[in-house]
Amino acid sequence: MADPMDMAVGGAGPDAEEGELEAHLHTKRMLINMGPSHPAMHGTVRTRIELEGETIVRAIPEIGFLHRGFQKSCENVTWNQCLPYTDRLNYVSALMNNFGFLNAVERLAGITIPERAQYIRVIGAELHRIHDHLTCVGSIGLELGGFAPFLYAIEGRELVMDRVTELTGARLTTSFGRVGGLNRDLPEGWTARVLKTLDKCHELIGEIDTLLTANRIFVDRMQGVGIITSDDAQDFGFTGPCLRATGVPYDVRKAYPYWVYDRMDFDVPVGVNGDNFDRYLMRLEELKHSESIVRQALKDIPTGPIIVDDWRIALPPKPEVYGTIEGVIAHFKLVMEGVPVPAGEVYDCTEAANGELGWYLVSDGSGRPYKVHVRAPGFAILSGLPRMIEGRMLADLIPTFDTINMIGGEVEQ
Amino acid sequence: MSESDDTEAAPKPPPPPAGPPRPAPKHPGFITLSVDGKEVVAKADTNLITAAKTAGADIPYYCWHHRLSIAANCRMCLVESSTSPKLVPACQTALQEGMSVRTNTARVAESQRSVMEFLLLNHPVDCAICDQAGECKLEDYYQRHDFKPSRVEGSKLLRNKRKVLGPLVVLDQERCVQCTRCIRFMDEVAKESQLGMFGRGSEEYIDVFPGTQLTSNYSGNVVDLCPVGALLNRDFRFRARTWFLSTVASVCTGCSRGCNIYVDFMGQDTYRYRPRENDAINQSWMCDQGRLSYKPLNLERVLCPSVGRADDRRETTAAEALAKATVQLKAMAGTAELAVLVSPTCSNEDLLAGLTFAKDALGVRQLYVGGHPDGQADTFLMRADKNPNRKGMEWIAAALGLSLHPFTELLQTIDAGTVKALYVLGAEVPMAEAEAAAKVAKVEFVAVQAANASALTAQADVVLPAAAHVEEEGTFVQADSVIQRFRRAYPPRRETQGHWKWAVDIMREFGFPVTYASARDVFHALAGKVPELAGFDWDKEAPPLKTTRGLAPLPSAADGRPPGYREFGTPRIRGI
Repeated sequence: MADPMDMAVGGAGPDAEEGELEAHLHTKRMLINMGPSHPAMHGTVRTRIELEGETIVRAIPEIGFLHRGFQKSCENVTWNQCLPYTDRLNYVSALMNNFGFLNAVERLAGITIPERAQYIRVIGAELHRIHDHLTCVGSIGLELGGFAPFLYAIEGRELVMDRVTELTGARLTTSFGRVGGLNRDLPEGWTARVLKTLDKCHELIGEIDTLLTANRIFVDRMQGVGIITSDDAQDFGFTGPCLRATGVPYDVRKAYPYWVYDRMDFDVPVGVNGDNFDRYLMRLEELKHSESIVRQALKDIPTGPIIVDDWRIALPPKPEVYGTIEGVIAHFKLVMEGVPVPAGEVYDCTEAANGELGWYLVSDGSGRPYKVHVRAPGFAILSGLPRMIEGRMLADLIPTFDTINMIGGEVEQ
Repeated sequence: MSESDDTEAAPKPPPPPAGPPRPAPKHPGFITLSVDGKEVVAKADTNLITAAKTAGADIPYYCWHHRLSIAANCRMCLVESSTSPKLVPACQTALQEGMSVRTNTARVAESQRSVMEFLLLNHPVDCAICDQAGECKLEDYYQRHDFKPSRVEGSKLLRNKRKVLGPLVVLDQERCVQCTRCIRFMDEVAKESQLGMFGRGSEEYIDVFPGTQLTSNYSGNVVDLCPVGALLNRDFRFRARTWFLSTVASVCTGCSRGCNIYVDFMGQDTYRYRPRENDAINQSWMCDQGRLSYKPLNLERVLCPSVGRADDRRETTAAEALAKATVQLKAMAGTAELAVLVSPTCSNEDLLAGLTFAKDALGVRQLYVGGHPDGQADTFLMRADKNPNRKGMEWIAAALGLSLHPFTELLQTIDAGTVKALYVLGAEVPMAEAEAAAKVAKVEFVAVQAANASALTAQADVVLPAAAHVEEEGTFVQADSVIQRFRRAYPPRRETQGHWKWAVDIMREFGFPVTYASARDVFHALAGKVPELAGFDWDKEAPPLKTTRGLAPLPSAADGRPPGYREFGTPRIRGI
């Protein structure tokens, strides 16, 4: 018999014999496409699913619908001009991509950024972690039939987005930061507004917690579903909340502290079962820790410059550009040729919302990258989806796909 | 130069006291020194800047040029040397056995930074409007050696920003760094001392002498030599930003010298020629006439095949034009009524294909030679013969057994009424165009392959638009029999294609099974018949494919078109 995966959906062929036309129940596996345009398949990912009744026998995630040629595009622009491309990797937490990329470039170039810039990067990254986790948690609730938690989550997310807009000038595609620091400082009165936003978010997260965590329907569909063992998770290359839900306390912020994370007081929550419910709990916990980190950082942030004082790396102040030949030359060279990053290669990673966001960069000494490879956390996690879902019911795919929080932009690049 | 004369005239100083004995050379015949700890072996007359380069040390300089005398006035190349307690200018320091040179110490770096700050003291804030931006040594070295904010308080010195020095050159005295390269070039290479240094101290400026102009035919070279944006080419000024221009290695077609050049182009327009280093032919220079000879590449081009004379002229398809030419020419092939005019401006590939067509298909045994009329010549680069490939034409015609006859003979035969049809490969004529065209008009049928519209193409019954040399690959043979490859800058404009390609197409119409797909194919297939060309390795002798200079423009499209291309219309691109 032909592989059912290669056959049309259901039924016998036109040249079937009479006996085959009788309907035999439970004899044929059904092939269905989840996605690419399915509201529960976030982004545009397609999963080919082979069903035995309602049980998933095989699930094959198929990516590439959102492929934009990220790596090649980066090779054609200067290091700073890569930033808008990084926005579009994980568009739910663009700042973490911006800063992660810049951190890797700075490591390759041997630049230490000013302390204030490090604090602002921590604040921005943690705000966007809140943004990312709220989106994830809210949509889990929504897709399991709870509309209220989704509204609460989106209300909090909107507030965070407003603060990010005030900081960067953009709601979604922030393109914030520059090699060597940041392109602008915190706006006036921003700190107070962020603290208020955090207060409100805290309240909203509490509501979500109340509505979902002890909800019988929710728990039944989440607990014991989409299990992956810690060994499997590590073999697949899981990182972030999905790995920690299996009991592995790996967090780049603790394992290889960067910026000022070593000065922050926060814990790494760890799960036990590696199922959907634990992954949900990880995010809920991390929301609280992120909030705490932002509060600490806002309290401790020093005054000072936000970008290195070196005209080979940072654009000169505008009065210098318009008024002095030195400024105009530096500006011209930086804009037209880019920051000269010394020849070499580097792997550098930061803890993004979904795990280890890694960058393998190669420079040939010019102002443009020779090679940019991004290790998207979602890619490894998506590859583990069949292991988590095969043998489960079709309906279990929805919460599982929700909790791995696959982002098309970074997986498909 | 004049230094030795001065010492002759002055009373001789006492001989210096004998120092410690020089060490024996480590490599006999050469001098061995160390640069930044690396051993460098060089000939005694090598400049230290050149020698240091072999050790990977890039010593910055403004005033030094390997073909000019040493002035050592810019002080940018100061380095530490074991032969002197003070910093020494690398350009002026003779190599000594066992000397140790350091180019990367803090002391050298501080000196370079100070020099840069000094040079920028009175420099105007001009990069945004300066033609040199993108290929300016002030920009390069500031970013490499200074990168500090200005400490100037108060205003800068104001000077003449648009002093027209001559027909091709304009000077911005505010941007000048007084390196005197231009003055030394005019004195030593062009041997026309038309530029001088006037004033003293910070009031110093370059200028022509009162009442005179920079009229030399080599004036364009001072623009290339100028390391900053002071001397500018009036023809190129404000026409393109240099970082958008792509560059390809080519050969000048202005005369039979065949100066090696770079063609700077954007889209399908050539913006300028710049000389390319070739010790045997043009050193680092080219003449102004050659420099401006790029203009016909852009202007007055024949872009589409057409048929019919005067009022009956209409644009048509290549197929119809070829069919019409074939019918007419075939009828007279092999008879004395058919004549072929060939231009020595065509490349060897064009001539190999074209003359093979003339001999095999048209059955002619003699050719009439067109081409540009003779012009001015000088004793340096410029030759009187203004055709780039006369030698090549003679070689190929001889190898194919075709005799060459002057253009005047063609006119005589036309007057005598024997010529009924004329096939023209390259429409340049060595006399007044209108006069020649008036005579050619008497011929019953004229088919012309031409790159530029002229009085002659106006009299043609069939015009086949030919590609210019920058749009095709090929070879020229210059006056001293040096065969030189040139590369393609951009694909042929609109309907144009190489002369060789038209020759191949029309041969096919005649029923010959020729299949050459490129100029390279033509050369490989046919050059074997020409003894002088047979030994030429077409692939190996090619100039470097790409030169990166300033900002390499990035292709924005799969076909390699540079950015900015769309601003100049979207001509039909073929052949990529």
